[in-house]
Amino acid sequence: MAYKHFEAIEKHAGLLGIGIAIMVSLGGLAEITPLFMEAHSVKAPPGVHPYEPLRLIGKDVYVREGCYLCHSQMIRALRFETERYGHFSTAEESVYDRPFQWGSKRTGPDLARVGGKYSDEWQRLHLMDPRQVVPQSNMPAYPWLAHNTISAEDVQARMRTLRKLGDPYTDAQIAAAPEAVKGKTEMDALIAYLQGLGIANEPAPPAGKATDSGAVAGATP
Amino acid sequence: MSTGWSLWVMFLVVLNLGITFALFLWAPRAKIPTRPDGTTGHVWAHGTILEGLKNLPMWWIVFSGAMFAAAFIYLFLFPGFGNHKGALGWTSHGQLAREVAANEAKLDPLLDRFRLYTVEQLAGDPQARQMGKVLFEDNCAACHQRSGTGNILVGAPNLTDGDWLYGGTGKDITTSIHDGRSGVMPPWASLGADNVKNLTQYVLSLSGAPHDAAKAAAAKPLFATCAACHGAEGKGNPALGAPNLTDHVWLYGGTPTEIEQTISNGRQGHMPPWGARLSEDQIHVIAAYVYHLSHPADEGQP
Repeated sequence: MAYKHFEAIEKHAGLLGIGIAIMVSLGGLAEITPLFMEAHSVKAPPGVHPYEPLRLIGKDVYVREGCYLCHSQMIRALRFETERYGHFSTAEESVYDRPFQWGSKRTGPDLARVGGKYSDEWQRLHLMDPRQVVPQSNMPAYPWLAHNTISAEDVQARMRTLRKLGDPYTDAQIAAAPEAVKGKTEMDALIAYLQGLGIANEPAPPAGKATDSGAVAGATP
Repeated sequence: MSTGWSLWVMFLVVLNLGITFALFLWAPRAKIPTRPDGTTGHVWAHGTILEGLKNLPMWWIVFSGAMFAAAFIYLFLFPGFGNHKGALGWTSHGQLAREVAANEAKLDPLLDRFRLYTVEQLAGDPQARQMGKVLFEDNCAACHQRSGTGNILVGAPNLTDGDWLYGGTGKDITTSIHDGRSGVMPPWASLGADNVKNLTQYVLSLSGAPHDAAKAAAAKPLFATCAACHGAEGKGNPALGAPNLTDHVWLYGGTPTEIEQTISNGRQGHMPPWGARLSEDQIHVIAAYVYHLSHPADEGQP
C-alpha cells in the first residue's frame, strides 16, 4: 500500500467521509443486524397474549401522551433494579408491543411491572392530578383522558392492522372488541393497560424467596 | 445467535481489527515523500504555513498498542466474538445472581434475628425500623404517604392513629400487607336522597358530632341495614373492615358532604396484595414498622 492512496483520501473530504462511514458501520452491522434479522425467533412465552381491545387502546394512549419520555419499561439485570422493580425484563415479554416501550429515560420510575402495585382508584387519582396521591410528584396531570371516548371502529381497525403484522387476533376477538370498549374512556383504557403491565408475563415465579425476585435470576439462561 | 450470524459477527470483528491493526503497523513506517526543504508540500493560508514531517510520538504508538492489547484480551475473556462465551464465562445474569447472593449473605444474619421476633417485638428494634422505613417509603407511601398518615382520597387509612379497620395486632397487619384488603361498602343512593341525608345526620350523631337531631332520629330505623356490617351501635367490624362510626376517625372524610357521598356511592377502597411482590421477611419488617407508627412509645430492643 503506497502513500499516494492515503494522500488521495487525505485530500478529498468525500473519500474520507466514505472511508469513515464504512469503518463506523462495521460496529452497527455486527451488533444490530443479527438481532434485527433474528427478531422473528423471539416467540411469545406462555401468558403473553396480544393486547385485549381496552388495553390496546390504553397502550396507544400511553404512546400518544408520550409516557415513554419519562418512564421506561425495561428492568435491567442489575441488583438495584430487580430489588426495586422485580424480575428483569426479557425480549419475549415485548413481542406484542409495537413499538416496544423499553426506553432508557427515567424521570419517573420504571413501569415494566407496575401492574397491580396500586389500586385502579389510585391510578385514576394519580392520572387526574398526581399531587393528589404523591405530593412530591412532578408528573403532569392528564385530566382530558377522563372524557375522551373510544371509537369501536377505531379499535377494530387497529386490531386488523396488527393482525396483518402477525399478531394472532381471531375474527371473534375483533368482532367482540366494540363490546369491550363500550362506554369506556381513554382513562379506563390507560388504567387497564397499566394494571396489566408485567402481570401475566413475569418470566419466573416472583418473590417468596429470601430477599427478592432477583434471586431467581441465576436460573434464567 | 445462529452459527451463520456468529460467523458474520466474527468476520466483522476480524475485518475491523484487521484494518485498524494493519494501519497501526504501517503508518509509522510509511514513506512520505518530502521536498528538499523537508516539508511535504501541503500548504495552508496561501503558502504562509507549510506542513513539515514528524514521526508519530512514541506515547501515541504505545497507547494505541495498549488499546489493541486491551481489545484482544477483552474478546478472549468476555463474550463479544460471535458465539464465543469468553474464557471467564461471564454473563450479566450470572453477575446479577452473584450480587443478589452476596447481598443475601449480608442480610441473612439480620433477617435470621428478625425472624425470631413477633411483629410487636420487632417494632422495638431500631435496625428493623430503619429497614422497614425504607421499604415503606418505596412501596406503601404512594397511598399511605411517607408519614403513614394516609390519604382520604384513595381511602388509605392513617396508620399512625391506633385505629384499625382490619385489626391492629402484628398478625392482622401482616395479613393486610400480604393479602391486601378490599372495601365492600355498596352504594345506597337507591334509598333516596332524603334518606341518605337523614342517614348522614344519624352517622354524625354516632360520634357525637354536631347534627340535626330530628333527621337523625328519622334515619334510625334505616340504620338497621347499615348495622349488618357496622354493628347495631355502629362500632364497626374488623372481620369485614367495616369502620367504627362512633369515633372521630374518617377513612373518606367526616364532613356531612363526604359522609353523604360515602353513603350514596359506596366505598370500595382497595389495597393490593403484596405477597407476590415482597418477600415474607420484607413484609415482616414492614409490619413491624407500621406497628411502630402507632406505638411510638415502645422504644428499645425487643
